[in-house]
Amino acid sequence: MKTARVIYAQGDHRWLVVARDPSRPSYLIDTNEYLVAVGDDAILLDPGGTEIFPAVFSALSTEFDPRKISQIFASHQDPDVVPSLSLWLEFNPQIKCHISWLWASFVPHFGGSEETYVAIPDGGADIRVGGQRLQAIPAHYLHSPGNFHLYDPQAKILFSGDVGAALLPSGEDALFVEDFDRHIRHAEGFHRRWMGSEKAKRDWCNRVSQLDIDMLCPQHGAIYQGTQVKRFIDWFAQLEVGVLRG
Amino acid sequence: MPALIEDAGRELRRIVRINEEIKTVVARAFKTNLMAMNAIFLAKRAGQSALGFGVLSNELRQFAMDLQKQMAQLREMTHGSVAKLTALLRQARLSRVFERTRNESTGTGRMLIDEFMKNRQNTADARQSEQIAAHNRRLTQMIADTAQLAELGGVLARSAKIEAAYGGPFSAALTQVSSDFERTIGEIQHSLSGLGRQQVD
Ligand SMILES: [Fe+2]
Ligand SMILES: [Fe+2]
Repeated sequence: MKTARVIYAQGDHRWLVVARDPSRPSYLIDTNEYLVAVGDDAILLDPGGTEIFPAVFSALSTEFDPRKISQIFASHQDPDVVPSLSLWLEFNPQIKCHISWLWASFVPHFGGSEETYVAIPDGGADIRVGGQRLQAIPAHYLHSPGNFHLYDPQAKILFSGDVGAALLPSGEDALFVEDFDRHIRHAEGFHRRWMGSEKAKRDWCNRVSQLDIDMLCPQHGAIYQGTQVKRFIDWFAQLEVGVLRG
Repeated sequence: MPALIEDAGRELRRIVRINEEIKTVVARAFKTNLMAMNAIFLAKRAGQSALGFGVLSNELRQFAMDLQKQMAQLREMTHGSVAKLTALLRQARLSRVFERTRNESTGTGRMLIDEFMKNRQNTADARQSEQIAAHNRRLTQMIADTAQLAELGGVLARSAKIEAAYGGPFSAALTQVSSDFERTIGEIQHSLSGLGRQQVD
């Protein structure tokens, strides 16, 4: 069963994570869902596939009123990222979904109407949640051709979608990275195969190096904190990506 | 959950069977049309002694065209059924996930989802089930109307057979043609009564 945990709280500004779920069926890739709540407003990041909606909804409800979720941020179009949007929309048809303009006419196959989607231009955009301004940071081709991460300058947290993802063996389900060297072994094959472009990778590393980041939160695996963030960026910068065999 | 939702998959398979039967009737209606054109020429050649046969051939041609039109409408209706059922299947799938969500939720979450599901079932599902039922009733009616039309075709074919007997030297050829009409229209009637039974089941 999934549980919601608070990873940042400053006044009414909070980050919740609905972390990995050891009890999910093993044929589904495990995912993390994040919620950024500011006062009475909230945005849900990469809500996940249809199958995990019950776990995400019930876990979030223990910490936050799900009726107040007004926006969804989809880093890209994948089946482990978006499809539960259709259930969230049943629950609240007013929800807006931010996604790359590239996917804005594809993702409605999962549900929603013309009013549902807010297309993010390639250069990124600001997304307001409560009184806070979050930034959609371009991460194209990592791995999706229309791909964004979400940065919270106040909380200094970067939601990094599939970048930073690790496919951890069962039993290793700590929320935060404990031993970087041990952890990164489970990230290596994934990044080599899924991240297709050296150039995009270098661009991203440059871009996020300039951000002040306390936590780097991927969609799969554990969260990087403090000095691990820079270590991850450096590791990624030197990793050869876009290769078929890791 | 309305019974129709649970049966949506079965409904969809039923529509597929109906569509297949419609295709059979369409092919035979087309054949009847060609046969009627042929019969009209034959009656012209037979002249004075096949005047009645000629009139009936014209009627049979009209019948074949009416039937084709009717079948096109039926096909449109079944397309409509597929669209409605697909929507219902999608709803049914979502309902199952919400059911699981209710089972997994506690406290506020449970309360919210309970309330949400009550409203949802009272509106979306019920409305869609009602739409499908209404659509189905129209489909049944249209099949019954088409069966009646085919009945008329059968009468025309039998009359043509009687007229053929007065065809003098052409009598044998005209009898052959009218027997073909009778057989093909008989097949159409058979298909249509099959369709009617599908609707009742
Ligand atoms: Fe992905
Ligand atoms: Fe993913």
